[in-house]
Amino acid sequence: MALSSEELSGLEFLLKAQSKSVVVGILKEGFVYRNDKVPDQVLASVAQSLNIQPSEVITLFQSVTLLVKKALYECVQDQSDASKIFPDDFHNDLRKLLSDIIVKNMSEWRTEASKSQVSLPRLVDFDWRVNIKSASDSVSRMAAPTCLLQMKVQPSPVNSSELPNLESINVEFNKEKLDTMLDGLGKIRDQLSSVAKATT
Amino acid sequence: MALHFSGEAVEDQFYTDFGNLNKLQDEKFQTLMVLVFEFLASPQTSSQFISNLEKFASDNGLGSGALKNLIKTVLVFFKAALKRNLPPTQLKEDLLQLGLSEEKGSWVAAQWKTNLGTFSKIAVGQSLTVNQLVDMEWRFGVTAADSEMKKVGNTYLQLKLVLDKGIKTEEVFMELTLPQFYSFLHEMEKAKAGIEYLT
Repeated sequence: MALSSEELSGLEFLLKAQSKSVVVGILKEGFVYRNDKVPDQVLASVAQSLNIQPSEVITLFQSVTLLVKKALYECVQDQSDASKIFPDDFHNDLRKLLSDIIVKNMSEWRTEASKSQVSLPRLVDFDWRVNIKSASDSVSRMAAPTCLLQMKVQPSPVNSSELPNLESINVEFNKEKLDTMLDGLGKIRDQLSSVAKATT
Repeated sequence: MALHFSGEAVEDQFYTDFGNLNKLQDEKFQTLMVLVFEFLASPQTSSQFISNLEKFASDNGLGSGALKNLIKTVLVFFKAALKRNLPPTQLKEDLLQLGLSEEKGSWVAAQWKTNLGTFSKIAVGQSLTVNQLVDMEWRFGVTAADSEMKKVGNTYLQLKLVLDKGIKTEEVFMELTLPQFYSFLHEMEKAKAGIEYLT
C-alpha cells in the first residue's frame, strides 16, 4: 500500500519549511484542493514561504494531494498505519512529522469528505407551523388544525463552481396524515435502535 | 321571505323544484334522498351517484335531464345548509317553506340530524389543502465505502415523499443523516402534540 519514492518526491521541499505549522498549513491546503486545481495564489504564497521555484511548488502539491488522498482512502488511524504509506527509504524525521499531522487531522478530514459523498439530495433544514383553519369555501365556521412543513433540500450541484440553490418543499398535513407519517418514522426509529442493539 | 339556508329570499326555481319533489311518493322520495345523502357523505363517488340517478329515473319513468336539474337544486340547498351548519329544526322549517309536506320534511330533518357529523367532517376535510402527502417510502443503511474512503460506516436514511401537487403527483427524494433524522422525528412529534392540543 506504500506510495513510491517518485510519487512523493515533491515532499522533500517540505524540509525547507521554517516551522511545523508551515507544513501543517500545506497539508491542509492539499486536503482542501485534493480534487481541484490548487489556486495560483496559494501556490505563490507557499513558494515564497519555502523559497522555492513555481515549478517545484507544483511538484510539491502533486505529492501532497496524493499523500492526503491515500491516507484518507486507507483510513489511517495511528502512527504505524500512517508510516506504512511512505516508502521505506523515505526521510525519517519528515515521515514522523507527516504521519503525526495526518493522524491528528484524520477525523476532521473524514467528516469533511463524507459531506461531499455522492448522495441523493440532502435535507438541509426544515421548519413547521401548526395552523387552524377557521373557515373555508365549504364550511363557514370550523376549527381544523393542520401542520405545514417546509423542507429545504439541497440538490446535487449541476455546475461544479457554484453551490446549487436550496429547493423548498412544502407539505401540508392534517392530523391523520401526520399520525400516519409519525407512525412510519417511529418504525424507522425502532429499526434503527434494534440495529444499534445488535451491533453493540 | 328569507330562508335559513341562504339568509335571504330565494329564486322561484327552488319552490318549483321542491314542489315537484313533494309530488313523489314517500317511498320514492326517501330512496332519492338516501342517494343524495350517500353522495354528500362520499363526494368522490360522483360517477356512481349519476348512474344511480339515471337508474332511478328510468325505474320511475322520469326524464333523467329533469331529475338532474332537480337534484342540482337539492344539492345546492344541502351544501348551503352544511356551510351554515344548519340545525335540523331550521332545516325542516326551510323545507316546509319550500313546499315539502310535514312528513317528508320531518324525515329529511331526522336523516340530517344523524348524518350531520359525517357531512361536516367531509366538508372540513375537503377544505383547501396544499401539497398533501400521499405516500412516504424510506430505507436506511450504512455506507461501507466510497471513492475517497475505503471504510466509511456512516448511517444514512433516504426518504421518498409523494406529494399531491393538484394537477399531478410529485416525488421528492432526500437523504438524512442520523442526527438529522432524530431531530426531524422530534420536531414532528412536537407538531403532533401541537395539533392534539388544539383538537
